[in-house]
Amino acid sequence: MSSITTRLSNVAPGSRRRGRRTWHKTLLGLVFTAIMLFPIYWMVNVSLTPADRMRSSPPSWFPFAPTFDGYIAVIQQQLPYLGTSLVIGLGTVLLTVVVAAPAAYSLAKLRPKGGGALSFVLLVAQMIPQVIVAMGFYAIYLNLGILNQPAGLIIADSTLAVPFGVLIFTAFMSGIPDELMSAAKLDGAGTMRTFLSVVLPVSRNSIVTVSLFAFLWAWSDFVFSSTLNSGGDAQTITLGIYRYIGNNNQDWNSIMATAVVASIPATILLIVAQRYVAAGVTAGAVKD
Amino acid sequence: MSSTIIERPEAAVPDGRPATNAGLPPRPSLKKRFRADQLTAWGFIAPVVAYLVIFYAYPLFKNVDLSVRDYTVRSFIDGNAPFVGFANFTAIFQNPTFGPALVHTLLFTGISIAFQFTIGMALAVFFFQNFRLSSTLRALFLVPWLLPLIVSASTWSWMMNSDSGVINSVIQSFGGTGINWLTSPHWALVAVIIANIWIGIPFNLVILYSGLQNISTDIYEAASLDGANASQKFWRITFPLLKPVSAITILLGLVYTLKVFDIIWIMTKGGPGDSSTTFAIWSYQLGFGSTLPDFSPAAAVGNLLIVIALIFGFLYLRVQKRQDA
Amino acid sequence: MISFFRRKRALTALAGLAVATVALTGCSTGSGGGSSAAKGTYTFWDPYPQFDASSAWTKLVEKCGTEAGVTIKRTGYDTSDLTSKALLAGQQGNSPDLLLVDNPVVSTLADAGLLTDTSETKTSTSDIEANILAAGQVDGKTYGVPIGANTLALYYNKKILSAAGVDASKITTWDSLTAALAKVKADGKKGITFSAIGTEEGSFQFLPWYWGSGADLTKLDSSDAASALSLWTDWVDKGYAPNSVINNTQTTSWQEFLTGDFAFSENGTWQLAGVKASKIDYGIISIPAKAGGAAPAPTGGEFLTIPVQKDSARYAVSKKIQSCLTSTANYVSTDTTLSYVAPTKAAQEKQVAADPDLEPWVTAVGDAKGRTSDNLGTKYPKISEQLWKAVQNSLSGSQTPDAALKQAQTAAAAAIK
Repeated sequence: MSSITTRLSNVAPGSRRRGRRTWHKTLLGLVFTAIMLFPIYWMVNVSLTPADRMRSSPPSWFPFAPTFDGYIAVIQQQLPYLGTSLVIGLGTVLLTVVVAAPAAYSLAKLRPKGGGALSFVLLVAQMIPQVIVAMGFYAIYLNLGILNQPAGLIIADSTLAVPFGVLIFTAFMSGIPDELMSAAKLDGAGTMRTFLSVVLPVSRNSIVTVSLFAFLWAWSDFVFSSTLNSGGDAQTITLGIYRYIGNNNQDWNSIMATAVVASIPATILLIVAQRYVAAGVTAGAVKD
Repeated sequence: MSSTIIERPEAAVPDGRPATNAGLPPRPSLKKRFRADQLTAWGFIAPVVAYLVIFYAYPLFKNVDLSVRDYTVRSFIDGNAPFVGFANFTAIFQNPTFGPALVHTLLFTGISIAFQFTIGMALAVFFFQNFRLSSTLRALFLVPWLLPLIVSASTWSWMMNSDSGVINSVIQSFGGTGINWLTSPHWALVAVIIANIWIGIPFNLVILYSGLQNISTDIYEAASLDGANASQKFWRITFPLLKPVSAITILLGLVYTLKVFDIIWIMTKGGPGDSSTTFAIWSYQLGFGSTLPDFSPAAAVGNLLIVIALIFGFLYLRVQKRQDA
Repeated sequence: MISFFRRKRALTALAGLAVATVALTGCSTGSGGGSSAAKGTYTFWDPYPQFDASSAWTKLVEKCGTEAGVTIKRTGYDTSDLTSKALLAGQQGNSPDLLLVDNPVVSTLADAGLLTDTSETKTSTSDIEANILAAGQVDGKTYGVPIGANTLALYYNKKILSAAGVDASKITTWDSLTAALAKVKADGKKGITFSAIGTEEGSFQFLPWYWGSGADLTKLDSSDAASALSLWTDWVDKGYAPNSVINNTQTTSWQEFLTGDFAFSENGTWQLAGVKASKIDYGIISIPAKAGGAAPAPTGGEFLTIPVQKDSARYAVSKKIQSCLTSTANYVSTDTTLSYVAPTKAAQEKQVAADPDLEPWVTAVGDAKGRTSDNLGTKYPKISEQLWKAVQNSLSGSQTPDAALKQAQTAAAAAIK
């Protein structure tokens, strides 16, 4: 695998030329991203539009006389909720990876009897409507006394991601060459050590993928936080949005502003994570 | 192609190389080893099994139980609902909503997945060529997922409003006539499919992209040396090697799309009339759409969805078996 | 060496299990949440998530608790969420001590046996207006006390009407209203906006016209009913009402009215504060009945109920809190905050004295009618669902008003058996 290293060093001298060669791709990428994120722009636009212009026809493409009422409301009322969502998101990521990765390793490489059936059950599990699952959880949590506890919400949110994680990890781990594992075995490593020091590092990409989705699901979950945590002191940002949805009235400035404010820290996290991952992949390749 | 990462394990495991057993006592009997192996294998799986039993067995049981009894709000509280067998299912099949809901579910799922997967794949391949800002832009593609569905779906219904929506405003400025996206029985399903494709693209992009990362660059090197062009590389290398990841992406996409309800519910409520009602929406309408919940038929429709997913799950397992064989 | 390896495998398996156990139980320590709290704490659920701990509403609730000698833990839920939450909590024997719910839900919860009726708690409801209280009555029993009421009327834009030469005070019948809409449209403005969305909100908005035609909810396919649906359908077809009404919530249609392009908006009491703050020179008229006069509009608003508890000794305190919140002084302050009309004559008079603009709304609430009244009870949700579907099918052009209502009647009859 040293060829990657050589390739990198081959490319290096011509990198300026490469930069010039790829600017049109960057441009194309920008166009794609702009199209994809247009609804996000529209959301920002609505968050700044005063109520009497929200439904003007034709709509205005830019909030010329912006109102910041929504943002003022959000900053005054919602900032602590962001912290809760962050803690719950990260907790869910951790729990999901810890539970799903070993299982997937086993399914992909250790060939347990009945593994196929298990994958199948995992698939079916994801079909149960979340509302029904939440109703079941409510009863369990009430009896365990973990209703309205962030820890309980982390467990609930991870149930969305664990079946997904196992299936994704399995798909990726079955692609790991068996030579790697038999080599570790030769070095005297047990199954656990092989898993920790060989399989996990090689599975970096899939760990990142699963973590991303676990985080995103936990971040945007509403059903669980509403059913299991709405009486708690530490509420999530999605519940925060419902403060602006009244019986007869919705305060769209504040709803959209909450979404904008909520997505900023998470977006930064995503970009940083992506950079880190991109760097990690290159480093790993060179090390090999 | 011996450098391919994805190789059948059986072929690759060299059973007992010379000198391996040199310093070790004789191996335990095959049967014992097998048992120990199984124990380890299940040890790794145990947490997930515990998970499934604790968190899914009861809800699944509950869902089946709801669908074979006649629950009213009162019997939901005191738990004394009479057993009615398949009566709820028969009632569902005879309901005039059944036919349209089935067709809409198939169209919604099929069209959504076809577009999500194709666009996701194209974007994954596109972003995989390292160009300036590629990783940042790729991260930005995930932003739609950060938004609670109530916000993203509301934004779409905002943009698709017949009178004050920006999409119609663009169409009209090019001289076209506006479309009643959300209020016309002919367009409502199209409108929710478009929004759903948009929401599903990041999912496909991310998984397929990490699939691409796992393909060894050596293969592309070799192909380049052999003079393969970009499209040949895609169809001969990328596509076949991505098969396992693609299969699971499509399967998961299917499972998730089948049960999509938030987007449709927020945008059209399944309307006008039944024109964008899928099984998931129908189940929700029965269960929570009015102030008087109708749990049993709702659960019956929900179980129909599970059965549909089961069928595709079987298909997946068969395809996988064939690939393994 | 073998045993070492074997043990290691067993350990691995154990470790796996341990991870699971820690994950599942590790977090379950800590104080019990939920509402099964200490004796001195009473739980209170309401559909006002917009009010946080520092709001006047929360302070009032807490003050009433203190007066009754207990601490109140109040939680605000999203309205649509509150019903399922109340059912779920009831199923688990975890109901709150006091529950404030939207009036059409009262009959559902009462039917489930979750609510105490006023005879059990010996609550007096004699000074409450009969038509408002009716929404919380099933089979002669009353399941709570209204906290306030709201209803629908027509807001109009004075500038647009005078430019089109329409005198709002002359609009007393459907024909005069349609004629006014035609004039407005000819003048280049937009006619009327309302909400015909496929939820309870759509039925709520259609009911004044439905009842105003003389139609009865037990017979959806009457010719009167068809005339009401034809009225709306014609407005959309002729462009007097925008096509977007089919998917409008009441908020969306209100935003349309706020643009200043619309002559009329069918909307509720709760928009009064908003319209005063806007630049629109507005007026309010009752929704006309077909043949003239004010049509009965449905009552909106919540009921303060006392859910069934295992420990019936708690009712005494709950009742104290309930009567505190429904005293005349507190009615006035609460209903002013919520932009509701109080359910008692005494409180209404005080409200009007403080804000004369409420006068037409007090009249409108006086003419209004509960949706679950006429002893429809839990039949109402089933009928209403078919009604909004018929409205959607007709307005979107997939069926004629007649056909849509016929289909609705068949379905409703089957659903309520």
